[in-house]
Amino acid sequence: MKSSLVGQAVILAALALLPAAGEAIYFRDKISWRSAIAPSEMVTVEQARGWGDTAIWVDARPDDEFANDHVPGAISLNEDRWNELLPQFLALWAPGKKTVVYCSSLSCNSSREVARRLRKEAQLSDVFVLEGGWEAWLKKKR
Amino acid sequence: MKTAEKLPTINYQLSTNRRFVWRIVDFAVAGIFIYAGALKAIDPVQFASDIDNFKILPWPVSVALAFYLPWLEILCALGLVFRFLYRGALSILSASIVVFTLATIAAKVRGLDITCGCFGHASQNWSFPAHLITNLAILAGLLLLSFKATSGNRLQNSI
Repeated sequence: MKSSLVGQAVILAALALLPAAGEAIYFRDKISWRSAIAPSEMVTVEQARGWGDTAIWVDARPDDEFANDHVPGAISLNEDRWNELLPQFLALWAPGKKTVVYCSSLSCNSSREVARRLRKEAQLSDVFVLEGGWEAWLKKKR
Repeated sequence: MKTAEKLPTINYQLSTNRRFVWRIVDFAVAGIFIYAGALKAIDPVQFASDIDNFKILPWPVSVALAFYLPWLEILCALGLVFRFLYRGALSILSASIVVFTLATIAAKVRGLDITCGCFGHASQNWSFPAHLITNLAILAGLLLLSFKATSGNRLQNSI
């Protein structure tokens, strides 16, 4: 085809829209366009507190931040020492327990990643990310 | 057979061999992009998260790109295989690998310990130098093919 380079690129870019749109429709329930975490996987401080003893609190922040302070009863499980810390978490976990993962604030990613790995690699259900993370916990504590 | 008669045959053979080698490069580069594109296309949620980790784009844009970029890569790679919209495909793939590489470097400079997501979750445990070397090798292949396509056109135009 003897069209210009830009013309060819535009045609390809336009063609790619079709399967992309199809996939976006197919995955519409599995991904939220508003937030990186699907609403069904988020939990507020109040909701998580309401779960009482059925909730396991998981601190996904680095070790030094966890050592500094953490949610009472929370255990550390971060990606830096995943293989080392995961058995400790699994020893606490039991069917019917809900896992609440948190990191520093609303903008941090580690709680999302830890929650994702718990679902995928440890095959756990009822894993939630704490909305607002540690900052939200501190605000509600006051 | 006289030497003068042999020469066109030898030249033809050399040109066929060269074309064959270039086609192998086409297929190798296309194979890499089809593999990388397919890995990301089957898990757009993870790819959106990988893009978001760069902290450059808002989440809705990351989601849109997660749906769009894998298919663009696959289509362009098929363009290389079937020589359909060939130069356009080369330019898009070159631009995408440059952008991915620059974003990975920028993330490293900003202290973000992330994967570029170029090969979906398969590249999750790659080190920064491994990412960089892979991307630069792919870019070198694309630039070679672009150079070949441009010089081939020039030769055709000059005849």
